[in-house]
Amino acid sequence: MAKTPVMDGLISRTVERHLPWSVHVDLTYRCNERCIHCYLDHEDHGEMKTDEIKNVLEQLAQSGTLFLTLSGGEIFLRDDLFELLEFARSLHFDISLKTNALLIDAERARKLRALSVRRIQVSIYSAEPAVHDAITKVRGSLERTLTAIRFLQAEGLQVKIACPLMKQNLMAYRNVQALAAELGVPYVLDMTITPKMDGDMGLLQLRNPVQDLLPILQDPTVNPPSSSQDSAQAAQLATGSATSSGIESQAYEDIPCSAGHNSCYISPYGEVFPCVQMPVATGNLRQQRFEEIWFKSPEMERVRAVRESQLPVCSKCSIRQYCERCPGLAQMEGGDLLGAYERACDLAELKAGLAGVQNPTSALHAQKPNRKELCSIPSPVATPAVQAGSN
Amino acid sequence: MPPAAFSPARRILEGDRGMKGYIVRNPKLAWREVDGEMVIISPEDSQVHELNETASLIWKHADGRSLEEIAERISTEYEVSLEAARADIGELVTALEQKQLVFVATEVKG
Repeated sequence: MAKTPVMDGLISRTVERHLPWSVHVDLTYRCNERCIHCYLDHEDHGEMKTDEIKNVLEQLAQSGTLFLTLSGGEIFLRDDLFELLEFARSLHFDISLKTNALLIDAERARKLRALSVRRIQVSIYSAEPAVHDAITKVRGSLERTLTAIRFLQAEGLQVKIACPLMKQNLMAYRNVQALAAELGVPYVLDMTITPKMDGDMGLLQLRNPVQDLLPILQDPTVNPPSSSQDSAQAAQLATGSATSSGIESQAYEDIPCSAGHNSCYISPYGEVFPCVQMPVATGNLRQQRFEEIWFKSPEMERVRAVRESQLPVCSKCSIRQYCERCPGLAQMEGGDLLGAYERACDLAELKAGLAGVQNPTSALHAQKPNRKELCSIPSPVATPAVQAGSN
Repeated sequence: MPPAAFSPARRILEGDRGMKGYIVRNPKLAWREVDGEMVIISPEDSQVHELNETASLIWKHADGRSLEEIAERISTEYEVSLEAARADIGELVTALEQKQLVFVATEVKG
């Protein structure tokens, strides 16, 4: 969604009114890929049935939800997907999908077009089949996904490529950029790898060390000089979260993000969370009405009460402006919704150093004087002149 | 494309429009009411439209009703003369139609 004064004004109003404007619903955790970095348990532990999801959608529409993101797991594994899309459309939602697209053929693309789906986000890890397929663990998956993207484009649908970056595909971001340019679609590079939903931290070993992200942070096609206003906006859109469906904006001011303020996440089992990346259970739609959870859950209220200016460590940080702290990941990895998220501290220090700040040190690391210097910043590297994606 | 029964008939929005037209929302659009005002999104270009109170009222009633019927409602709701309501509707419907948010037909089939 483009960032415009109209959108910023609407975001402010929806936050002020606690309107659940943007809701991400995972229809299933089942999947036909086995991505090595995936945080989900793919077993079906009793996902919501068709009528249950329709009931949830009705409640969301009544509560004022406009932006509906349907994701998974792989949503096309649900036999009732088109029935649900048709129902959602009858409720006038703005519909976005997240999919690996393996099951999208020409006929399904045509149906998606007929149902006025606005955007389909497709994950691509590299333009090289060997790299992409090794991550998805499905041979031929890149070729099938690209074929599907062309079906979607042939119908005039908006496609966006999401590229989560891990050790296995870090420098593939360049060929994904080139692929996006060739296809004429926007892309997002996501440097976040999260623990599994059950708390298993093993996936974090796939994460790139922060210093290895320097080539991306220094790449002018991803992070253009701040003097270029248009390019800077494009860069904001070229990196970010491929997982969260909250709407990013400066309009949130002193609140950390949209989670619990005007957006939330619903699991296939009816559980409601402030965000897909924030493991704070607030209620279950199989037992409670949505509005009861959204407006009255003590956990939702606790998340909603957080203000950045009151964070015990981060509010004192001198390089806060370079930080993209995620409260959900702070909770997930550090166990404290209000705490610092150390990976964000590391990245902020790197970015501040690139911006010319001398000896950038986050507030968290200032408390740890014996900590080793993270890395040194080499001179900028030459990069291909590929245009960054836009939303 | 508009629904079959609603071929755009621009001439009725100009000069001789009168209030004989029937109005319907573009069915492709997504929308919600926020604080009494409609927020509308086009799936084709992600364009966001925010309607003012009067335009929102027209939008809410744009389900195949006649423009005259909507003028009467606006006249009652805002306590303005029917003539003033008709004039407002003429301008607003033209603007909505130009943005392809609504379609206007000279007749409703079925």
